Amino acid sequence: MQKSFFRKTIEIIIFTVFIFFLFAPLLSLGIWSVALRWYWPHTLPQKIGFDYWLQALGITKSLTLGAVNVVPAFLLSLGIAIIVVIITMAIAIPAGYALAKLKIPALLKGIILILFLLPRAFPQQPVFLNLMLMFNKIGLTGTVLGVIFVHIVVGLVFAVWITASTFSSIPPELEEAARSVGATRLKAFFKVTLPISTPGLIASAVFVFLTSMDEFTGTFFVGLPFVTTLPMTLYSASGSNIQFASVIAILLLIPSILFMIVIQKFLKAEHLGGMGG
Amino acid sequence: MGNNLKNELAVGKNEIGVGVERPHSYTNILPYILVFPAVMVILLLYLYPFLASFWKSFISKEGVLSLANYEKTLRIYRYDILFTLGVTVLSTFIATVASIFVAVYLRLSKGWLSNSVGILYRLPIFLPFVVIAQMMRSFLAPHGVLNLFLAKLNLIDIENPLQLFNWVGLTFGFVWKEAPFMILIICGGFQMIDDSYIEAARSVGAKLPQIITKILIPMNKPTILIAVTLVFCSLVGCFSFPYMLIGGKSPVTITVDIAHRVNYFGDYGVANALGVFSYIMVSLLALYYVRSMMKKGLYD
Repeated sequence: MQKSFFRKTIEIIIFTVFIFFLFAPLLSLGIWSVALRWYWPHTLPQKIGFDYWLQALGITKSLTLGAVNVVPAFLLSLGIAIIVVIITMAIAIPAGYALAKLKIPALLKGIILILFLLPRAFPQQPVFLNLMLMFNKIGLTGTVLGVIFVHIVVGLVFAVWITASTFSSIPPELEEAARSVGATRLKAFFKVTLPISTPGLIASAVFVFLTSMDEFTGTFFVGLPFVTTLPMTLYSASGSNIQFASVIAILLLIPSILFMIVIQKFLKAEHLGGMGG
Repeated sequence: MGNNLKNELAVGKNEIGVGVERPHSYTNILPYILVFPAVMVILLLYLYPFLASFWKSFISKEGVLSLANYEKTLRIYRYDILFTLGVTVLSTFIATVASIFVAVYLRLSKGWLSNSVGILYRLPIFLPFVVIAQMMRSFLAPHGVLNLFLAKLNLIDIENPLQLFNWVGLTFGFVWKEAPFMILIICGGFQMIDDSYIEAARSVGAKLPQIITKILIPMNKPTILIAVTLVFCSLVGCFSFPYMLIGGKSPVTITVDIAHRVNYFGDYGVANALGVFSYIMVSLLALYYVRSMMKKGLYD
């Protein structure tokens, strides 16, 4: 009896420490985003309000040092992410289907798989650096198009994996049944395979969307200083104004958390590690 | 009449024969058509620049083949290379040990406490490093929330707060982000182990440490190794967090050095040599990862 009480106490103490370290950094971000005046070492800000939120969202004008209106950056990030999702999925769905369902000689398939594993295993920053040098020659550095290309590379690897694993989980008998009653391969795909795999494909698209919204390293090399996506404005606000930086950070983490809670059950655990490098 | 029918059948057969052959050849090239765009994107925008980083690391400023970049890299960044390796190994180690403990706890313990831990721990997985960087900047700052909290508890002197914008803060942020991901993967492995193994071990007198070291860990070795590999490799290549937390101060990770080399000196040779060092750091684990994924089948 006493032993179990002792164990419960230990469990609660560890639980409290766990909760503190998990949530205190988040809480710190939240408090800073509404702190108008916070002198060290007061426990809480002396003055709180949503002034920085209103300024960051462009609702009120601001003369504060380091003040940025994040709405254009948000719209730019959103636009890039939508284009990236459309192109990436249009490339990834056929590739994933072919890898999962169609006959490809073992050697060639092996090479393709290695090609899609390398970006996950090796650091990507030197690759972006050389991509920038490549883009310099053809005038893509500092353009939205260049940034879109970079985001496609980042998202495509995961998109191919996720779509391939979605398609391979569908029993081949279903498509065969459709074809045995006269459907063409194309018709069988659109009438049978595609509807069943919709949840997995949506999960994959959301994943690509989030990697694009959060992408930092590639945009840093290829996009700056002309293409300022939301993570880039966070980076530049970070050094100058902690309240603005906190507001942007919260704006960035909301979609991540919302979407991932919805789609995580459709994704394999290994893929989740690809979030936001 | 009979002949005619035969002829017609023969013609029909022939037509069917042709009809079969066409889709056949079409099916033969269909997979290649479908994978072609994806493979081209990766070849052009990933593999080519990836290989270029090796090649360019051997080209000196004068444009000749030499080891000058490596010589310079080792002279200036020797310490940063060791720093990167040290912080990554330390973070991966702490994250692994912590995540195994939490995963064991979640596997063996029932009740509302473990249930809520089992849901809440996932939060950091979904956050990008750039957000974590800003979060840790405000949390770990000399006048940040952590120092404030420790000062209120009288654990530190308020005039002398902890300086955490260095390897300590870096390790803290890395573990904060990656341990939950490892818990997720390792928990998945632990769920596969049937309760009967654990009960059998208990019935012959095995204590908790033995259950962990003799059953749970050995039976999940491949899963744990994959988790360690993915975390180690992504931490070596992590740029945004060290860049925003430590920035221009020294020592710093080589990803930050690469950015400085490019932005301030336009020195692509040394930047690429540093990149090759980061490849070498992950090479063993990366090869293990590629091999084990190939064996397992990428998506089965």
